[in-house]
Amino acid sequence: MTLRGIDRACAAAVLLALAGCANVEPWVKPYERQNFADIIMAPDRNPVATAYIDHVYEAREGARGASGSHGGGCGCN
Amino acid sequence: MRIGPQIPAILFTALLASRALAAGTAAPDFSLPARDGSTVRLSELKGQVVMINFWATWCGPCRQEMPLLTQLQSKYEPLGFTLLGVNVEPDSAAAQDWLKGMAVDFPILFDRKNAVAESFGVQGMPSSVFLDRAGNVRYVHRGYKPGDEAKYADMIRNLVKE
Repeated sequence: MTLRGIDRACAAAVLLALAGCANVEPWVKPYERQNFADIIMAPDRNPVATAYIDHVYEAREGARGASGSHGGGCGCN
Repeated sequence: MRIGPQIPAILFTALLASRALAAGTAAPDFSLPARDGSTVRLSELKGQVVMINFWATWCGPCRQEMPLLTQLQSKYEPLGFTLLGVNVEPDSAAAQDWLKGMAVDFPILFDRKNAVAESFGVQGMPSSVFLDRAGNVRYVHRGYKPGDEAKYADMIRNLVKE
């Protein structure tokens, strides 16, 4: 396969994936997120320590955010 | 070609936005059981400014704004305003329990099958929809940050004055 062919295949795959997105069921709606908001869904066991380590990273790297999702998973803010 | 992480986010947002209930359209009618045992039908509230607040006990900001909504209700009720708190949980026991400790005096409705949340195209929790006296959707507010209650009050004042 030529490089151009691979490009086309990739583009086709991306388009197919996007077209598929619209039909995924069940699509979890904001008002259906009560199971996500459950405390058991929080992956880390030491949220206070994690928040501190995140702060250390932020200070050291001069960047913040994109380190996971905050809040109760309710789709607000 | 490198696709940035923002592209899927933009597409996702566009997908959600396409389902929004547009301002200016008539609100879909519903009838839901209320906390006091009665049934509330939206079309019976025509002639009043209605704020529909979609909430759940698992949603922190929803719980945070509840006392402020109570204040809005008591302040603007004499001007022909009604607040409806629509609980979106399939099992309303948690809401019943939580409300016992709260001084919430506006009607709480239970949308256990999420049919109303779906017909209003709720895109975030909490969501508030403001209806004018003719029953048309005028404003939609997503989420809650401290200070948003002032925006709510502005919207209600605008609609009540009409």
